[in-house]
Amino acid sequence: MSSKQKTSNGSWKMTLLKGRTFIVLIILLIFFSFKANNFLSVSTLMIVAKHVALYGILAIGMTYVIITSGIDLSVGAVVGLTGMIAGGLINEGLTLKVFGVTLYFNVVAIVIISAIIGAIIGLINGFIITKFNVAPFIATLGMMYVARGLANIRSGGATFSNLSGNKALGNTGFEIFGRNIPGTPIPVGVIIMVIIAIIAAVVLKKTPFGWHVFAIGGNEKAAGLSGIKVNKVKMLVYAFSGFCSGIVGIIATSQLVAAHPRTGESWEMNAIAAAVLGGTSMSGGIGTIGGTIVGAFVIGVINDGMVMCGVSEFWQMVIKGLVIVLAVIIDQFQRNLQAKMALQARNENK
Amino acid sequence: MKGLKKVLACGLIISMVAVMSVGCGSKSDDAKEETKEETKTEETKEESSNEVLKGGGSNIIYIITPSHSNPFFKTEAVQAEAKAKELGYEVKSASHDDDATKQSELFDNAIADKAAAIICDNAGADATVEAVQKAREAGIPTFLIDREINAEGVAISQIVANNYQGAKAIAEKWVEEMGEEGEYAELLGKESDTNAGVRSSAFHEVIDQYDGFKMVAQQAANWEQTEAYEKMETIIQSNPEIKGVICGNDTMAVGAQAALEAHGMTDVKIIGVDGSDEAADLIRAGKMTGTALQQCALIAEMAVEQADQYLKKGSTGLEEKQLVDCVAITKDNVDKLKTFVYSE
Repeated sequence: MSSKQKTSNGSWKMTLLKGRTFIVLIILLIFFSFKANNFLSVSTLMIVAKHVALYGILAIGMTYVIITSGIDLSVGAVVGLTGMIAGGLINEGLTLKVFGVTLYFNVVAIVIISAIIGAIIGLINGFIITKFNVAPFIATLGMMYVARGLANIRSGGATFSNLSGNKALGNTGFEIFGRNIPGTPIPVGVIIMVIIAIIAAVVLKKTPFGWHVFAIGGNEKAAGLSGIKVNKVKMLVYAFSGFCSGIVGIIATSQLVAAHPRTGESWEMNAIAAAVLGGTSMSGGIGTIGGTIVGAFVIGVINDGMVMCGVSEFWQMVIKGLVIVLAVIIDQFQRNLQAKMALQARNENK
Repeated sequence: MKGLKKVLACGLIISMVAVMSVGCGSKSDDAKEETKEETKTEETKEESSNEVLKGGGSNIIYIITPSHSNPFFKTEAVQAEAKAKELGYEVKSASHDDDATKQSELFDNAIADKAAAIICDNAGADATVEAVQKAREAGIPTFLIDREINAEGVAISQIVANNYQGAKAIAEKWVEEMGEEGEYAELLGKESDTNAGVRSSAFHEVIDQYDGFKMVAQQAANWEQTEAYEKMETIIQSNPEIKGVICGNDTMAVGAQAALEAHGMTDVKIIGVDGSDEAADLIRAGKMTGTALQQCALIAEMAVEQADQYLKKGSTGLEEKQLVDCVAITKDNVDKLKTFVYSE
């Protein structure tokens, strides 16, 4: 009798722990709607969602990477680089010196090119990590500098401004990614995040590829021995992270209607924080896309809420840092509790 | 590996198809429609620049500046805040850290918060235009301080320090102090920043009139103290005879001074631009010749006053672009300077 009570007690705790990020999000929403007058309204929440979309999409790619027990520090720099490439293609086109012509692409092509370049950079990350056995931290740190440097080189440190395109060249309409869907208050970036999140979540949970990602994070050697092509899966995971960065590069550039080589500086930290807040384990093998999105919203609500309360930037940093560390501490609690319950269950069966 | 090739191939095919669609796209129809749209937007733009912005409805003024860890921007924000509170507004102060995306997000927040007006020291001449336009569309007037943007008719006021006049004024003092001759070095600000070029050309407009001067080194130190220190050390190695250093800002001047002092070169004449407290201390101690004070406190107050005026009367009664003169600070008047505030 007593043991049964204990387990029910434990499972109640577990539900609370598992939904903790969501609970924190609700508490934050309530707190800020009392503190800041105009916080709880559709337009404000849409703005929060629009801001979340930027590092939320990065965090989706990052979640995959972290589940394989890797890390991708280059995402912010890749955002800057792909943004510069998109901006350059709109303003200057692609000059082929051999043929002496300048090609101008339409917006669809520019988006695809930027996303593919992002994916290729990710693929290079994956290649260096798997083939040369370089630690992900180092490989992507190097790529971070390379990509940021290239972004600056593309324009000599200057900004590509006024990216509205030229109707004679047929490349207008780039602003759409940074604006709302016409006639609705919903930003296009949020829709893109939702689409990527759904696809990423389904692939992670329901396909063999997703299971392989988890298996590699759980135990890379065992995964390799059981026939999973570890290197291939890892390379694709980094390519996906790069692809996400490329998409974010487009959205960020489109929002400003200008491409600046410093765009995306330190965004990788927000992406990692969102994934970790959402319950992704830095040691790999554990994580969900849904959790990551909720984590991204927690950061977004804290950021925008504190601005609208008039909290100073220095306190904002302190509070954000504390929330992240606290989240990981609670995460460890959950692990311990889970292990204890599993042990208890086994003992009872005996 | 095969699967990987497939993925790559697919990507290439998609991109090729997309590229082809550029050529095949029916341009004529699009072009017509777009010209129509263009004329429409132009009309609305013209209308909007005459229209009086009423503010978002609340009594809040948003003050958006670069990071407060730089005392220049802190003074600016604090002064603006004090003035706005004095005029009866609620103030929310935020920092964009020179990140244009973050700045755009802060503008979103101000719009959501139904701000009455925005005072902004912006994060990039090009990348800020869209954010200010967004605020304008939401009926919120923006008053830019310290840095301009590359568009007119979007913000209500753009109040900046007259860098050109300031750099010239202090360069004249320096020429006097140098005795109109000698070898000197120059430390430049960030190349991508227009102010770096403006200040340098103002320096040279004054200095190059005299035949006695010879510039032996010119290096970019990107506004930074450590970089200025290192660059200065290298310059000393190859040019131990220099008598003067002209710097694009005070942070670099302070770095250069430290390097020169470390090598026992204490009688080198150094000038900077900004009017920081560090520079003021050095000037007081006779280790630096002078600086040009950008009156950021005054500029911030002016912006708030104009915002108040505009919200009450529908016009500031002034031009959009306004230049505020700098004050040349030397040993004679350094005591009147404290945290970027110059009191007569």
